[in-house]
Amino acid sequence: MPIWKEGDLNDEQIAAIEEDDSVFLVACPGSGKTRTLTYKIAHELSKLESTKKWVVAITYTHRAADEIQNRIEHLGIDTSQLWIGTIHSFCLEWILKPYALYHDALKNGFRVINSFDSEKQITELCQNLTTSSVRYWDCGFHFTTIERVLSGKPRFWADINTILDQYYEILRLNKQIDFELILKYAYELIIQNPSINKILSSLFTHILIDEYQDTKEIQYAIVSAILRSGEGRVKAFVVGDPNQSIYESLGGYAITANDFSALAQINFIEMELSLNYRSSSRIIEYFSHFNAYNTKIYPAGELTNFPSIITFDALVNQDDLLTPLTRILTQSIEVEGISPNEICILAPQWAYLASMTRSLVGALPNYSFDGPGMVPFTRDIDNFWYKLSRIILTEPSPSMYIRRLRWAREILLALNDVNVDIGSLTNKSLLRECNAIDLTEQDGLTYLEQFFNELFNNINIDFRSIPSLFEHHTDFFSSSQDRIERLQEKEATFISDIASFRKVFENRSGITVSTIHGIKGEEYDVVIAYALLEGMVPFFGESEQSAKKSLYVVGSRARKHLHLISERGRMYGRGHRRTEYPPTAILSQCNFNYNA
Amino acid sequence: MYITKLSLINYRNFANTKLLFSQGINTIIGENASGKTNLFRSIRLLLDSSMRRSSMNLDEKDFHRGLDNWRGHWIIISIEFDEVSHDEAIQALFLHGTGVLEEDAADKASYNLFFRPKETIRNDLAQLDDGDAAGLQAILDNIDIDDYETYVTGKSSADFNDPAVYRRIVGDFDNVQFPEELKPEEIGGKVPPILSMTKEVSFTYVQALRDVVSDFHNNRTNPLLTLLKMKSGEIDQAQFAPIVEQVQSLNSAIETLEDVQTIRQDIKSTVNETVGDAYSPNSISINSDLPDEAEKLFQALKLFIAETDDGHEGEIHEMSLGGANLIYLTLKLLEFKYQKSNQTIANFLLIEEPEAHIHTHIQKSLFDKLKYPNTQVIYTTHSSHISEVSNIENVNVLGKIDGSYTAFQPSAGLTGTQIERVQRYLDAVRSNLLFAKSVILVEGDAEEILIPILIKQVLGISLDELGISLVNIRSTGFENVALLFNENRIKKRCSIITDNDLAYFDTTEQEADSEEIASAKRKALRSQVSGITRKIALDVFCNGNRWVSSYYAPHTFEVDFIAAGNGALTSTISRDVYLDAGIISIAETELKSPEKPIYGKRVLTMANHSGKGWFAILLGKAISHKVVIPSYIIDAIFFAHGNVSLETIHGILQYRLRKIIDDLNQQEIMVNSAQDQEAQWYSDWRAYITTRRMAITIFKAELQAYLPGTVSLQQLKTSMTAKFPEDQIIPFFARF
Repeated sequence: MPIWKEGDLNDEQIAAIEEDDSVFLVACPGSGKTRTLTYKIAHELSKLESTKKWVVAITYTHRAADEIQNRIEHLGIDTSQLWIGTIHSFCLEWILKPYALYHDALKNGFRVINSFDSEKQITELCQNLTTSSVRYWDCGFHFTTIERVLSGKPRFWADINTILDQYYEILRLNKQIDFELILKYAYELIIQNPSINKILSSLFTHILIDEYQDTKEIQYAIVSAILRSGEGRVKAFVVGDPNQSIYESLGGYAITANDFSALAQINFIEMELSLNYRSSSRIIEYFSHFNAYNTKIYPAGELTNFPSIITFDALVNQDDLLTPLTRILTQSIEVEGISPNEICILAPQWAYLASMTRSLVGALPNYSFDGPGMVPFTRDIDNFWYKLSRIILTEPSPSMYIRRLRWAREILLALNDVNVDIGSLTNKSLLRECNAIDLTEQDGLTYLEQFFNELFNNINIDFRSIPSLFEHHTDFFSSSQDRIERLQEKEATFISDIASFRKVFENRSGITVSTIHGIKGEEYDVVIAYALLEGMVPFFGESEQSAKKSLYVVGSRARKHLHLISERGRMYGRGHRRTEYPPTAILSQCNFNYNA
Repeated sequence: MYITKLSLINYRNFANTKLLFSQGINTIIGENASGKTNLFRSIRLLLDSSMRRSSMNLDEKDFHRGLDNWRGHWIIISIEFDEVSHDEAIQALFLHGTGVLEEDAADKASYNLFFRPKETIRNDLAQLDDGDAAGLQAILDNIDIDDYETYVTGKSSADFNDPAVYRRIVGDFDNVQFPEELKPEEIGGKVPPILSMTKEVSFTYVQALRDVVSDFHNNRTNPLLTLLKMKSGEIDQAQFAPIVEQVQSLNSAIETLEDVQTIRQDIKSTVNETVGDAYSPNSISINSDLPDEAEKLFQALKLFIAETDDGHEGEIHEMSLGGANLIYLTLKLLEFKYQKSNQTIANFLLIEEPEAHIHTHIQKSLFDKLKYPNTQVIYTTHSSHISEVSNIENVNVLGKIDGSYTAFQPSAGLTGTQIERVQRYLDAVRSNLLFAKSVILVEGDAEEILIPILIKQVLGISLDELGISLVNIRSTGFENVALLFNENRIKKRCSIITDNDLAYFDTTEQEADSEEIASAKRKALRSQVSGITRKIALDVFCNGNRWVSSYYAPHTFEVDFIAAGNGALTSTISRDVYLDAGIISIAETELKSPEKPIYGKRVLTMANHSGKGWFAILLGKAISHKVVIPSYIIDAIFFAHGNVSLETIHGILQYRLRKIIDDLNQQEIMVNSAQDQEAQWYSDWRAYITTRRMAITIFKAELQAYLPGTVSLQQLKTSMTAKFPEDQIIPFFARF
């Protein structure tokens, strides 16, 4: 019995889902990639014969994992034999935690440091290094299977290496590991202990990789080692779009099917999803200018014939930027009747977004704006209290029930992980306990603190006596406090209210403000992007290819209208070398019949 | 996959115990109260799905009582597995959670339970300065059982039985040294939540039976219901549909019975009459409620069995106890078979004291045939009949040393040939050896028959009561069996009693010797040489092994028995051996002779004449409490038995005192009935009897005061030596 109904999926999608062999699937924007992945997982789960086998799906973000799992559960499929999460979670759960004994740096216990603490630590080390002007943002790096690769300016490399060496020494002394070390150690473990691959390959029937184009070399190596050990028994399902590979600076790249096949010693059936259901044909025609891989893409959605407006403004001065933005926004909302939450404003970097958001809030007081920067606490998925906050800050409702149950189960697993005796507590009873607590406190952090205390009091667990929970507690509150203070400096005084806390988990209602990188996988009726300037898109030192990919991503987010702005008057350099950023070259060169 | 090792540290009656297991059938031998049930419980805590999860949360009472203070200590239960293949997915899951990775593969695994102080306490201990006993005491005083946690890990390859490992991970309480590392790698890694051991193994536990019939009556424990339940899930709906139909029509047939309808009507009208229409329920019906679901319907099924050949099938409670037990065990085995067909990593069947379930003669064939593939059977027993079936290599013996129970592996470190030989002996002696608290090995029938009699007569208690098993090896091949008793194997004491075969007469050849005499001398010399050689070899064998010691009759048992002072006693059986009055008289004279060559030659002639075994039986009848036990035998007994308890000494002395009284009574009767004796004779006897009575009264009081401790053993010894210097017990005083 197929899990999908007639008309749920197109032929390309069905072919990919029903293919028994490993699949390398290139999916154009708006082609129903997540839907295909969802049904593929559901399909493979329903085909499982053994209760001791798992389907593993690796997504780029926790949010994507949560979303896919949610969709599968709503299909009525048992997900107890599905493991879904990011590559980092995968390495932690399946390699680092079970096999910690076999790594000298892990065998006596370890703790994952979140990116906030990591940034704080490196920033401090930068400040200590008085002989150099290296800053935190110069210290980008990632591990490959052979070395530590720096992404900052070569003239800083010696200093950056000094700082990173000190940083890792501090982590080592504290038995901490950061996200990069998770990958490095996972790789070391499986290379030094081939039994691990053997065991894991016996446990998995499928490994699905979403957004493969943003996968790093060391990540490919880890997954391939397991696939290789499976000698063809473990099937891979690799999905993504090479055109959207925008994480090159972090080491992500789109592998070819041939290279992956050689690495993992498996055979791939290469397939494509080429029907775009999202955008008008005019939008598709436009962003196809930036198609660097000659992937197929055909319009197929309801908006195919929509009379899209695509503009490119390279004349406006940055001081006047507010004018075109407010004009586009009011036009879309007031005239065309587009809902504010179907509009997004993009820029390459946060620095340009924060002040613009403030100006927009001032200029358009009737509209609300949502940006990830407005989150008053660290979304550190490994933090126990963040996990618990998800339940606390969402309302009990039928549509949220399955999701909240899953979150509750994750809480119980996390408690079990730190060896807390949960007695007769189940995910349902934990939800009931949470729902029963009623507080009047208005300050968000105080609210959470009171809530945590009352809940743990009611379930009779003294979390302060459990070192790791207590550490997480301290982390959660100090980093959130820090974050709130920083946001309040930027005039977001309301951010400490419990309402702002709850908003984080509500569906977006306002106009989205985001970086280009942060918009991955999303879609909007109207997309407005500015600061499309050579030196930002592409960033200094990056190739023209990377600019193409950014523009491809920006363009393909839009369903109806696309507005691109390369404003004048943004400067870089100092003194006599002070120069104006020119518009992104390949954008200027693009020959297109823009709307006026 | 199977269990290779179970380690118990500080758990219940086990301070530090290791049991080793093999594939297939394994036996754990132990006397009552040696902890067999505790041992099974420890395995069940980790593997039995029918145990409540909360039972893993141990308790103060689970700590070994031998610990002066349990606070701060850990309980460790560790199970090791071998031959876990990772080709199959189920095994891979098991290895993922518990496997011990080696070079290239993993086929060993461990699953460990730690009951230990929580991290904050361990951290406090770690902060102590070395040797800070007061600081330690302060921390320990504040610990209660809520400060403990249960931690379950896999993958550890540490040897928890090694005290050094315990000191490394737990700490050294004597010297106050505690590990700084609170998460030692040695204890293994936490088992990931995707692996639930109790779900992955099939585990059946058959308890020592107390009340089979009530088990059958209880829905939860009824093994038939369990079987039916297992099957009801997979019932063919097509086959079951007509039954459902019939049940439903049966239900409606019952409901429409005229009588049923009348009752319904009557209830309704009575309610109406009593409370009136307004308050009456709207409708009342009587429904027949025969279940139409397989699971519930199956509950009505009962087992009927014809035990006799008259064709009458009765219920379980009508059966003989043995028959009911057999059915129970059979159903349990079937349950196990059903369970096995589920996908499981391994199958374990634990049976507690099968002798409680079934008649001994069925046991042997049952365990011979009980061979499920990929299944490990472990059973405990105190029946030598069952242990006979098991291979010595698959045996663990529970025994007490230094007041605490521990397990021994009788075959540890032995070669194949050695094991084969031991096995042969064990078969011959029905494995008694493995049950004994201590053992005396003897070479022949004479010793086997007479030593128990000597002990019984002199000490008033039997060898059994002393916990000594006497085993007749029927040759001088002691080493083959004695090698079981060793620091690495059975840590119980074993005495060897054998003849040194030194010549008891002058073997110097004389010119005048007849050919016969000369040949006898040569023969004696030859056996003397071989005796000496044997002694050297045996002494070397025993040397350095505190569990085995050998004791030698300088010549040969019969000769040394007389040499000890039993000439007169032995002479009394001359008339049982010989018919001819002349020879009887010569024999009596020779046996009473102080000359060793004379009584030696005679007693051996007599023994050979009637056969050594028969001679021993005759001699046994003649032995009384006045017999003198040769000192090498006393040595052997006290080596085997070890320290004699206060109560035992008390019992022995009471027995001797009773004999003294008996003797005195006899003498009094003899004196009183004597006629025609001189007056002096009477007065001497009367004086003696009076003194003796006085002495007895005093000693009796002293003996009474001994148990409560008012009189010391030394006082008792001095008193008895002074009062009854001739008593046979006096030579034993040196050992008490």
